[in-house]
Amino acid sequence: MSELSVNHLLGIKYLKASDVDLIFETADHFKEVINRPIKKVPSLRDITIANLFFENSTRTKLSFELAEKRLSADVINFSASQSSVKKGETLIDTVNNILSMKVDMVVMRHPNPGAGVFLSNHINASIVNAGDGAHEHPTQALLDSYSIREKLGEVKGKNVVIVGDILHSRVALSNIYALQLQGANVMVCGPKTLLPKYINKLGVKVETNLRKALEWCDVANMLRVQNERMDINYFPSTREYSQQFGVNKALLNSLNKEIVIMHPGPINRGVEITSDVADSDQAIILDQVQNGVAVRMAVIYLLASKIKQ
Amino acid sequence: MNALIKSATIIDTKSDFHNETVDILIENGTIKNIAKSIKNTNNYKEIALHNLHVSQGWFDSSVSFGEPGFEERETIENGLKTAAYSGFTHIALNSNTNPVIDTASNVTFLRDKSNNNAVTMLPIGALTKQSHGKDLAELFDMKNAGAIAFGDYKSPITNPNLLKIALQYAQGFNGLVLSFPFEKNIAGLGVMNENFMSTSIGLKGIPNLAEDLHIARDLFILEYTEGKLHIPTISTKKSVDLIREAKKKKLNVTCSVAIHNLFLSDNTLKDFNTNHKVMPPLRTQNDIDALIEGVKDGTIDMVTSDHTPIDIEHKKVEFDHALYGTIGLESAFGALNTLFTTKKTIDVLTKGKQRFNIKNNSINLGNKACITLFNPNKKYIFDKDAIVSTSKNSIFDGQSLKGQVYGIISNNKIALKS
Repeated sequence: MSELSVNHLLGIKYLKASDVDLIFETADHFKEVINRPIKKVPSLRDITIANLFFENSTRTKLSFELAEKRLSADVINFSASQSSVKKGETLIDTVNNILSMKVDMVVMRHPNPGAGVFLSNHINASIVNAGDGAHEHPTQALLDSYSIREKLGEVKGKNVVIVGDILHSRVALSNIYALQLQGANVMVCGPKTLLPKYINKLGVKVETNLRKALEWCDVANMLRVQNERMDINYFPSTREYSQQFGVNKALLNSLNKEIVIMHPGPINRGVEITSDVADSDQAIILDQVQNGVAVRMAVIYLLASKIKQ
Repeated sequence: MNALIKSATIIDTKSDFHNETVDILIENGTIKNIAKSIKNTNNYKEIALHNLHVSQGWFDSSVSFGEPGFEERETIENGLKTAAYSGFTHIALNSNTNPVIDTASNVTFLRDKSNNNAVTMLPIGALTKQSHGKDLAELFDMKNAGAIAFGDYKSPITNPNLLKIALQYAQGFNGLVLSFPFEKNIAGLGVMNENFMSTSIGLKGIPNLAEDLHIARDLFILEYTEGKLHIPTISTKKSVDLIREAKKKKLNVTCSVAIHNLFLSDNTLKDFNTNHKVMPPLRTQNDIDALIEGVKDGTIDMVTSDHTPIDIEHKKVEFDHALYGTIGLESAFGALNTLFTTKKTIDVLTKGKQRFNIKNNSINLGNKACITLFNPNKKYIFDKDAIVSTSKNSIFDGQSLKGQVYGIISNNKIALKS
């Protein structure tokens, strides 16, 4: 039986193309499962998973929890606001305390880049990175690619532009790695202040004009501006940002082709995307959410099968 | 202290015996005889070591210990032992303690603590009270107590007028002002070099610009004041260019580079190793090449280990939370001697003394013995388990180095690793 080349999912950059293929094939199966009347399989009845969220999250946490429960895993949840982190406990100690209660797998969201890598060097459990600072958010990138694959047949050879706040985005970085791994062409587009100076060294095209970017692409992945991560205002006003980097129906209609619009959520209607776009047939935003559960089931299932060995 | 050093090759361009392999007789801390073969008639302690080489004692212009205030990181006693075993007869001690070394009495405390040691510990006084960057500390008073220079460690002087005043005021007593080059607003929340690696691992970057801009500013102020400035631990190509130009204009400026900034690039951060989190950050190979060129052509006056002990509790954490710094005394010679010829290595380890007004004792008859003993050919893997320093946060852990230190003879004392 095929298996993943890694014991943790810390980031897309640690995966091989064959891992992505395996995850998607497995996700196909689980997608069928979650559309059955009984949406649950008994695969992970002997596995306990801790969801450790050191940073706020609603959709990612729900999606993981649902994925785990549909695999029949035992699930415990932990968030920083209730935790002993505030009492001065280190991350390693916090996690080891939880692991000593016989937990097999950790799903972690953390504000610091590399927190998952750091933890994997010091603890004995399988780790799924659910977002670490501006580093990676691998399951988001996997579900994004999975959704492109579902919509367009394949990812290879497609032109994908990621629009918005690339500087503060883990979604952008993981998507760049995932898309490149599958042979897609990637462009980033946004105000120069929100594009990392050396982003071109990752092998992506760089564009500051949204129209040109949209004319080039098959898929546009619209990111939210992460005001909460900014130490200074990177553009004068939301209104002005929207004028330059917001996608609206008129703009889409003026293109000579129909592109696919994606968004990892939460969306800010009227800022990076207008309502008439978000609710249109061109947008696959809610498909992404549904696919998120199937892809996360696949990731957890495949990592858990490595633990069982 | 009496000793007879047997069969040592002298690497000291100021010595009459440069490049010769000789015996050296030391009586009461003074070199009494140098000859091909000296008989040990008085039965002095004999020092015979494999492939022994000796040079003038080495100087490190940026060393931090933890006393007072952070004794868990390093004490003065063990710090000086570490320095001695690493070949340093003189160290300039940074003022980054708690309390900050910003008064004459603090300077005196440090001098007293290090009395009767083989290593001469020379405190750097804080430039401003509590290193807050607002008001000048009592520089003249500290100078009289033994401070050899004045700087706020890694806190940049953000107010240019304050630097102007400091450079003017210190001229009254030939004081040396240190200005750490770091424009905080440009660096923002950065924790590593801004380039390909920071982009690919999502850590916030510190652009070279943060350093270059600060140095350009400082050089303008230096030109205006005609003062005396030392820029510690530069790390970028443009810094080297700027200082090279300033020296051509005859500005009274010197600078140093941390040895790890010559040895390692930011590529080593790919696994988020917190021992590689240093200030200034590890830069790119392009910068390293320029820095090495700067050392070779003399633009960079001296190298430093920038020895910064950090306890494991502040290193074994998420990268963003880890403190900056690496220990470096024990790997200094091995790393430099891997990059440069032994002659050049000794040159950059001794040349800085002049800038800090420390007497250079060449290995000649009648001079006080101030000698470092080493074997330049020994190759080894730098091993964390052999570290003498209390804190083990070494960026050189696991690196292949060439050159091993035996110890020092200085201040009428012998300090040799067993």
